[in-house]
Amino acid sequence: MRGLLGSVLGLPLAMMLCGLLAAILPIDWRDWLVLMMLLSLLVWALLIVLSGMARTPWRAGIGLLAANGLAWLLLQTTSLYGGA
Amino acid sequence: MRAETLKRHIDLHAWAGILTGLALFVAFFAGALNMFHHELHHWQEPAAREAAAPDANMQALLDTVVANNPDAGQWMFLVPGDDPSAIWRDTVDGEGVWRTEHASDFNDAGEKVAPPGGSGLSDFVNELHYELAIPKFGLYVMGIVSVLYGAALIGGLVIHWSRLKKEFFALKHQGNLRRYWKNLHNLVGVISYPFHVIFAWTGAAMGCLAIVTLVMGALVFGPRFQSVFTEATEAWPTPEASGTRVAMASIDDYLAGAREAMPELDVGWIELQQYGDENAVVDVGGSVHGKVAHYSHVVMRGDNAELLTVSGPGQRSFNHFLMAPVYSLHFGDYGGLFVRLMYFALALLGCLLFFSGNIMWCERRTDRQGPSRSAAFMLRLTLGVTFGVMAGLAMAFIVSKPMLYSPWQAWTAPAEKIAFLATLLVALVAAFRAAPLTTAGLWPKLCAGLYILAPLVQGGIEGFHTWLEPDFLLVNGALLAVAASLILVDRLRRRRMRRAAPHPLWVGAAHPVTAANPVDPDPA
Repeated sequence: MRGLLGSVLGLPLAMMLCGLLAAILPIDWRDWLVLMMLLSLLVWALLIVLSGMARTPWRAGIGLLAANGLAWLLLQTTSLYGGA
Repeated sequence: MRAETLKRHIDLHAWAGILTGLALFVAFFAGALNMFHHELHHWQEPAAREAAAPDANMQALLDTVVANNPDAGQWMFLVPGDDPSAIWRDTVDGEGVWRTEHASDFNDAGEKVAPPGGSGLSDFVNELHYELAIPKFGLYVMGIVSVLYGAALIGGLVIHWSRLKKEFFALKHQGNLRRYWKNLHNLVGVISYPFHVIFAWTGAAMGCLAIVTLVMGALVFGPRFQSVFTEATEAWPTPEASGTRVAMASIDDYLAGAREAMPELDVGWIELQQYGDENAVVDVGGSVHGKVAHYSHVVMRGDNAELLTVSGPGQRSFNHFLMAPVYSLHFGDYGGLFVRLMYFALALLGCLLFFSGNIMWCERRTDRQGPSRSAAFMLRLTLGVTFGVMAGLAMAFIVSKPMLYSPWQAWTAPAEKIAFLATLLVALVAAFRAAPLTTAGLWPKLCAGLYILAPLVQGGIEGFHTWLEPDFLLVNGALLAVAASLILVDRLRRRRMRRAAPHPLWVGAAHPVTAANPVDPDPA
């Protein structure tokens, strides 16, 4: 169950974390798109492992939901969306 | 590491493994044979037709295909060789369909002489490898499977890091049969770990591309992200047709332009887009040998072969620099025959890894929870799918040649798929009807026999002198190597059976944990 939560909720979180990294770094994200994609897959796999380490599925689910919400809110403070 | 943390890592590793193990087994087994994809293309053709191939050139083939199919030039690949081929995208009921025609399919007057149909073995093996032969969704399934496989690998590293050295020499005949599977699983996993990391990552990159671009577009960069990604990773943007027809330069002009721009390029294909239109673009692609990221492109205008861009080692953007090894590391085509043979062997070892992982999960579950219907089901499913896929592919090879030389030649490709599916079904039914121990005793021998029979059938029909041709030698050698691997595994299994009693799950009854049948104290 924890692994399943990590697989489903880890995907958007991994993408948003890489988006936040793109917003922080002073390099145009278009120049390292492939690296970002490869990195996002690694982060996704790591999030599945991390969620599997939670004591209960509830903790994993709530933690991932909260992290997704926070990452989404932080992304709204950047100018990335629509910049493509 | 705390025991509780280690246990969670083991649980996650087992969960990810059991969820993806069978899909990975199919992908790895088909992938092992797919290491000889090009040779298999040659193997599956009638040997007589190869000998009678006309002295054709790519220009004549291109002109003939475009004359017969005016839309074929919108997107086409020309592949040079003894019998050049044109692979072009057709549209049937709004769906894109790839068609392949060879120079030997036509006579000098451009009339089609090859009968319709033929073998589809190499394409089927490839489809089984990258999408489990499930159209549309299979690729995405395999992408997600690859990410879970990556998670299982991370967990596996955490579990085994502290005892890597010990496990490297741990294939001992000690304790019960389960300990043996565990030792074998750990040993194979440790030996081939870097290879599995490469496969998980590059497989996920190829399978999840659409999912990643969709989610990143929706949440981070906006709806145009997918087109930005495509532009950033293509050698040249896909051209739009202007509607104005113009004369095109010749294939020789494109090849001369490519030679001038990149003398070290070994041409593997020529990609044509909007051929015949004034916006036509021609991409002469191939390899620069001696580099891991060897794929290279010389892009020209279609009408006058004017150079547009070059992408190759030392002459590409950072995105292309990273994208090129994703493909070459996955395909294993960067280091010649030796690397391909190594990938073949490692892929077969990967099959053993997933098979033993599933068995360990079933036995561990029974040991922990007592008689378990899910463990018994999973064990039988594992045996049915693994032996079914292996025997099914062998049967596809066996029926291919007799069909090709029969009056039903046009039905060869469907017959190969039917043979595969029917054998898989028989194996599944047999696995659920017989005791697992019987299945494990019978099917490896049967599969090995079928993999010996396949080259014999080919040689018997087309002549054993064809075995000396390099492509036939490689494909037949690969089939015999699979047979040899199965015989070896069966010998190991029989030796173990002589030394220790099987787990109760194998004889069709799962017993609860007792003093006589204790839980293995080392769960990893």
